[in-house]
Amino acid sequence: MSKRNDYMKINGNFARLIRIEILFMPILIFVPILVGIFLINDWYIRDLLHQELDLIGELFFGIILIIGNIAFDIPFVKTMFHYRKK
Amino acid sequence: MKKIIDQSREIKKKIDSLEFDVHWYRRVFHAFGASFIFYYMLPDVYWINTIKFWGPPFLVVFAISLEVLRLKGKLSSDHFFGLRMYEKNRIGSYAFFAVAILILLRFFPQQITIPCILCATLGDPLIGELRYRFRMNYVYIFGFLFCMFFFMIAWSKTDSSLMLFASIVGGIGAVIGETKKFWWLDDDFMIQMIPAILLLIIWFSLPFIGLAEPGEIIYPSVVPWLS
Repeated sequence: MSKRNDYMKINGNFARLIRIEILFMPILIFVPILVGIFLINDWYIRDLLHQELDLIGELFFGIILIIGNIAFDIPFVKTMFHYRKK
Repeated sequence: MKKIIDQSREIKKKIDSLEFDVHWYRRVFHAFGASFIFYYMLPDVYWINTIKFWGPPFLVVFAISLEVLRLKGKLSSDHFFGLRMYEKNRIGSYAFFAVAILILLRFFPQQITIPCILCATLGDPLIGELRYRFRMNYVYIFGFLFCMFFFMIAWSKTDSSLMLFASIVGGIGAVIGETKKFWWLDDDFMIQMIPAILLLIIWFSLPFIGLAEPGEIIYPSVVPWLS
């Protein structure tokens, strides 16, 4: 089953488009991980250390965000390096 | 100076030799959407509240404007990386996704919004990925359990029977939203809105059955130097 046939073909300057996407890449990869770290940090400070609020949900969502994103980031980055070697 | 020009040419050459796998790019783009739950962590400060109010509609208008320009032919589809074939003559799924998130952030409580966003951003690509590898029935059972888990966390600050009921309803709603495909309405919209509407009905029924609303999961950050 070819996954690539489902997507629209680019007729113009593909390399230029890729350069634009590369600018977005750090945002796509690191922002969700940073948000996950923020959530876990908030749980650690306000719940675990100061016991102000019950923030166990923030901890779970933080972990989900980090694991969920890394699970998709790894194959994505792998394919990039795979192409680079060509 | 010549050295800098040569170096920049070399970098450009290297970048041009890269190729993004469009399939995984789309998956990563999906997963990135989960960051929107940060909205609930933003401090409760006047100017940030203004951004919280105007930011999401601005992004939606921007996304829809891009799509209108693309469909009218004024902006080439070549500028959009990772569009599917069926999106050639239809509004792209990212615009549907943005509209659904705007509706959720504006009109739904966070206990409904957060798991629905996670269903679309993490549940949907996971179901899609599993669909390539396993039989249909197993995929939807796994997808249901995965989405149900989000609702369980979001409704954890309530009666345990209500939490279980809400998470089952949410999980079923998310799977229905994922399976129902229309040409004119994207599953990125449905996977968020179907469970959200079902849970909103439960939410409004709570006073009549004598149960309290679940507590909030994410609280605004306190940043003293911002206020």
